[in-house]
Formats: sequence, structure tokens, C-alpha cells
Amino acid sequence: MTDLTEIAEQIQSQARKLLSSDEADVVIGYETGPRGITRPFFAYKPDEVERLTWNDHCSHNLVTFLRDWKQPRAKGQEAPRVGIVVKACDARALNVLLQEKQIERERVHVIGVVCGGMRDDNREEQARCVRCAERAPVVYDTLIGEPEVVPAHAGWAGVEALEAMSARERLAYWVEQFERCLRCYACRQACPGCYCYECLAEQVDPLWVDIGIDFPQKYFFHIMRAYHLAGRCADCDECERVCPVNIPLSLLNRRIAREITELFDYTPGLSPDEASPLTTFLPNEELPL
Amino acid sequence: MLITTRESLLDWLSKLIAQYPVIAPRRVEGVPLFRPIASAEEVAWDVMRTVVSPKTWLFPETEAILEIDKGPGGVTLTEPMNEGGRVLFALRPCDARALRALDAMLVEHEPSDVYYARRRRQTMLVGLACRQPLPDCFCTGTGGAPDDADDMDVMLYETDDGFLAQAVTERGELLLEGLEAEETKRRPPAPGPFETQVAVPEPAAWPAHFDDAYWTRLADRCLSCRVCTYVCPTCRCFDVRDYITAAGPGGTQIERLRAWDACLAETYRRAAGGHDPRPLKAQRLRNRFYCKFLYAPQDFGATGCVGCGRCIAACPVNIDISEVLTDMAQMVARG
Repeated sequence: MTDLTEIAEQIQSQARKLLSSDEADVVIGYETGPRGITRPFFAYKPDEVERLTWNDHCSHNLVTFLRDWKQPRAKGQEAPRVGIVVKACDARALNVLLQEKQIERERVHVIGVVCGGMRDDNREEQARCVRCAERAPVVYDTLIGEPEVVPAHAGWAGVEALEAMSARERLAYWVEQFERCLRCYACRQACPGCYCYECLAEQVDPLWVDIGIDFPQKYFFHIMRAYHLAGRCADCDECERVCPVNIPLSLLNRRIAREITELFDYTPGLSPDEASPLTTFLPNEELPL
Repeated sequence: MLITTRESLLDWLSKLIAQYPVIAPRRVEGVPLFRPIASAEEVAWDVMRTVVSPKTWLFPETEAILEIDKGPGGVTLTEPMNEGGRVLFALRPCDARALRALDAMLVEHEPSDVYYARRRRQTMLVGLACRQPLPDCFCTGTGGAPDDADDMDVMLYETDDGFLAQAVTERGELLLEGLEAEETKRRPPAPGPFETQVAVPEPAAWPAHFDDAYWTRLADRCLSCRVCTYVCPTCRCFDVRDYITAAGPGGTQIERLRAWDACLAETYRRAAGGHDPRPLKAQRLRNRFYCKFLYAPQDFGATGCVGCGRCIAACPVNIDISEVLTDMAQMVARG
């Protein structure tokens, strides 16, 4: 396991190289804010790279920000080239976007960091990291850190408890969870896979759901979002991390992920070329249903 | 000032609960929120700040403001709101001060928001002074104080051996009648120190920095979600739309819904035909701060921020309003 400070220095040095050689217009990484909170940081100039850091609170999936960097920043310019720091889960999300043709691969320089697992506010290893079966990013241009042997897929804890409930109990469970939802859309906005220009939940014509912030609308929104992520969710848990009222959203995504794994033996984001089973039809395909 | 024991205070609260719906800080699946309580034991006294502000009980996230029934005999309009008196209990001074700001913005300027105004009149405020501010609290920087009783009907101060209580309004005096307590000359304990110290730059200082590159850089990490505005005690934007709820040969029923909206949202100012006068997220993020520190004071004479620190705690990418104020003060100093 490479030392955290050493990783930070390598990120800085790579970022400096990209920015001073004009290989990148911006490098997206992490910094520590005045309150000691780790947050996304966008370095534009070589002399800004010293703010880039690495620690066990680099939770954010920065791949989400790539959607802001697809268009030229000014008329007549080319689309910007972006350096981006990714962990293993972020890299899977990146592969999903590559596979869905949302990113031009040559415009992105991926600084992959072998991740030792992120911690929550109580210094506990985050649940997504406990069940991570990669640790090393699956896509990168520069790799920082030593790939280590990681345990196999940790199973479906939490999902199994949910499945053990009766349908009625399960509905009651989600009614209770969604009661707190504010429809603030933090989950959607933080999700790399939610890049629609116009979300179904806000579409006016056709109208799928009204503006109300009440159970039917929240239920519709969350179930709809989970379905739209079927076979696409990289299991980065950003939706759950950013939720201000602690709704266990990853349970919805992982319940569907389990289905996808069992039906199609498919894990989203392991390759930029392997299309998701739910968005592809192959010749002579037989559904394993 | 009255002095009472914890036991007597809980007895009094039980009497309030028997008389009125009482809404107080409670932990819901571990998340501190203002929720109706059925017994005095449910109050989470140690909660300094709920995740969502109590504004939701006066300006709910969703309400049907009109029901329209269009039948063969004509059109019938019904206003469904029929809530009675209730008590917001263990309200912190910053949240009460935010209600004063909402009064200025929603009621005291025409057109008055009758839905908010009606609930506001019917809601009694029982305050609880803060003993130790959270690290990201900064009410003193915005003109408030952790023991400010001004906006309450009744103010409570927790002490090591019980409570001090004070009626602030006539309504508060009536409320306190059921409390077993004695007069005292004791003063409330002094609140603990603040870690976050900020000064809010004068409204006049803001326009000169409207086009600064600062806002674009700050917005780089903004996710354009609505967390900050939805947890905020003074954000008050909403949308109103009509929806057909039933239609048939007998007529059509339409519901007029109003729900929270947020200037941070990509859709907020998108107009018919797709035109958007605020298409960049930097413009939308900037608006949040200009609304609070320029437009609200200028247009309503109200403070747009009470320093509760909720948006700081809830922002997934650590956009920190106290940091923005500090940065702005520096930009102002540089000219």
C-alpha cells in the first residue's frame, strides 16, 4: 500500500505535467477545504496543482463532472481536454460512459489511483469499499499505487435482508424511507449515469410525474431512477452518500444489480466495450428468463 | 424569568400535546427532523440542528392550494387548507429569526402569501436556547444570537439542573400558564464560543463583484442539486402548476399544486421554447448568494441568511456559505 502523501505527490506531478505540456486544460482531483473537508478541486494552472490531495475521504465520484466538460468553453474553441483522478468505482462509471459514447476517450487523461478504501465520518470503511472487488481502476492512462490482491465479491448483504421481507413489509420499509426524501435530486445530480438533458421526473410533455414532493412522486422518481441504472450502476454509492436524509438508495440499485449479475453474468463498467445487457440486443440472443 | 425542573417541563409539554399538535426535533431513522410528537419523551433535546429547517411546517414542500371542480353545473373552487393552531417546540433562535425573514419576504410585501401567513398566525413558537454552537454555526455573524428570544412566544433555557422559561409574547404567557415554575433572578447560562466567525459584507458591496471569475470557479464543483435551498430556513422559491386529477363525462377535477423549487436547479428559469436567462450553473449558484445578501436586504429589508449552517453540513461538495462570505470580504477589501 503506497503512502497517501506519496500518492498525493504523484497526482500533483502528473497534473503538473498535463497542465504545463498543454495536454489538459483542467485536472479534476481533490483538495482539502478550510474546514478540513475533502472536496472536488479543478486545477487549471501548473501552480495550482499543489492544492491537489489524496486521503481516505476522497469519496466523490469525479466522473460526474465530465458532463460539464463536453462542450467548448468559448466559441471557436475545441472541446476541453480533461485530466481526472479516479478510484476503482469511479473507473467503472467512466467505462459505462465510454461504452455509452458519452465521452471522447482521447479528450480525457485518466489518473487512476489504487484505492485503499474510503472512510465515512466515523472513520469506518465505507460499505462500497468493503464490498469492492477491484481496488485498482479498470481504466487509466496513468496508474498511481500498487495493485493489491482484493477479496472476491462480498455478496449481497442488505439486499438479502430486504428480500427476506414480505412485499407488504418491503413497501412499508420504503414508505418510511421516502417519507424523508425532499426530492432535492442530489442523488441524481451526483450520479455519473444520470446525464439526461431532461430528466423524466422534470419532463412536462409528456408528463410522467407532477411537481409534488409527496410519497407517490418520490416513489416514482426513485424507482424510475433505479430502473434506468439497471445494468449501468457502477456501485459507487454516491447517491447514498450525498442524500441529506440518509435514504439507503444503494439497496435499490444493488437489488437490481444482483438480478443483472445472476441473469446475465454481467458487472457494469468492467470494460468500455462490453455493452450492458439491457441496452443491447445481440443477434440470436435468447433471454435467460 | 421562571425556573422549573425537567420533570415539570415535561409535564407541561404533555399538556401542550393534549391541546395542540406539537412539532419538535425527533430522530427519524437516526436523522434529526422536526416531526409531530405524540409524547414528551420523543423530543430529541440534544439535537442542535435538524437536517431540514422547520420552515417546512409553515411553507410545506407540497400543498394543494386550490381544487377546481368543473361540472355541468359550473365551476366550484375549494381551498383545501384547514389547519388549526399548533406548536413548534424546541425551535432554535436562528430558525425563529428565519421565520421573521420569511414574514418580511412573503407576508409584508404584496402580494402576501396567504397560505404561509395563515399557518404562521396559527403556529406558536416555543424556543430553546443553544448552549454550544456547532462548528459550522455562525448566527452571530448574521446578526442573531444563540440565546435570542426575540422571535419566540416562549423561550426555554436548558440548565444543568432543569430549565429557565420566559414568556416573550402575550400568547406565550397564556401557553406558560400550565407550567409549574417559580420566579427566579437566575440568568441563563452563557452560550459557548463560536468556531466560525464571519462578517457579512454590506449589500452595496456585492454588485461590483457580480462578474468576478470567482463564481465560475466556485461552481466548478457544484452539482446543481437543490440540497442547500431545500434545507435552508429562508429559501422560499416555489412553483405552481395545475394538474387534472380526474376527467370524465361528469366533469373535470383539477388540482392546483404548489411545491418547492430552487434557483440552483437547471430547470428553474427554463422558459417555453427552451430559452434560459440563467443557463450556466455558475450563474445559478451565484444567484443563491446574491439573493441572500443583496436582493433580500434590498427588496425586503430582510436578512437572507441566519447562519444556521445547514447548507454547509448538507452540501455534498462542501460549498460553504461562510467561506463565500469570507472570500467576498477579501474581494471587497481588494476592491
